[in-house]
Amino acid sequence: MRRDPLRWLLISGVLVATAACATGEEWTTWKSHSTHFASGEHMFFSVRNREGNEAKVTRQDIALARDEAWWGKPITVGQEQILER
Amino acid sequence: MSGRLRGAALVLLAAATFPIAATLGAGAALAAPGEDRILPTDQYTSAKARRLAETHHGALRELNTAVYHCLPWVEVARQSIGFFKPRNAPQDDRYLSIRIYIEQDPSPQFATLRMEDRGSAMFSRYVGHLLRRMTRSPALAAETAVDGFTIILEWLKQTPRAGGRPIHETVAVFVPRVVASDYLAGRIPIGQVANGSKVFGWDGETALGELKLTAWDDNFATTFKVANYQMEPGVTCQ
Repeated sequence: MRRDPLRWLLISGVLVATAACATGEEWTTWKSHSTHFASGEHMFFSVRNREGNEAKVTRQDIALARDEAWWGKPITVGQEQILER
Repeated sequence: MSGRLRGAALVLLAAATFPIAATLGAGAALAAPGEDRILPTDQYTSAKARRLAETHHGALRELNTAVYHCLPWVEVARQSIGFFKPRNAPQDDRYLSIRIYIEQDPSPQFATLRMEDRGSAMFSRYVGHLLRRMTRSPALAAETAVDGFTIILEWLKQTPRAGGRPIHETVAVFVPRVVASDYLAGRIPIGQVANGSKVFGWDGETALGELKLTAWDDNFATTFKVANYQMEPGVTCQ
């Protein structure tokens, strides 16, 4: 019985670590797609668990997060340099 | 391209793949993307393009909807879906076109690759997938007035400095119709699509000229899932 507190501490630690880190499946995806580099994950993470609700991300959440994270008008090639109407 | 990337792609070849189609059910209209992603018909400069746009407007809307819901980590550029003419084409060739911005965190690892290798990775990941999406409509796939397909891929080059503007890298891929048809019919692999296409690159606004890319099968677009992403009611990707 003396070991019970230690065991629960270990179990709690594992649970916290699992919740805080990527799952095995997520890591598999990450490793399998090494050019993806967390595509969008940074942005999507910020829209999870709003107000304690079940973790869900809708397409509208993504659009909203994109607007909030907007870094300004990008320097990029204009479409008229590539295509004509 | 590094052996590791190619190796990962080969592993993915063995993974199960499945076609994706976005379908909108009743009551899902509000979940649809903005129509401003599609070039309005009256903006075209030739009768051929206007006819194509009018005839296939439904297919363009379905393409817009499918990318919006099924590839939520990409953003379709405004007025980029349509039947455009490649710049400086000698005649009125009309290519079904789409321009997407691929949302991804900047990475030093990715940045150390040559531009051709970054472009090859993006080509492998998105061109084949988008070709299939762009030809999902049988009427559009059989449209002989479509001379080819343009797929413009754009991504963030590096994290912007404080107060600085973000810089994007871009590749524009022009796939002739016959090359696309052979690929979609399974007669040639994606590598030959890269060989048979014209590809141009840009670093920000600076033209890099024509790029020679290599390509390999990459099923990322059909297998990657945004964590906790919940499809809008009435929409499915299959």
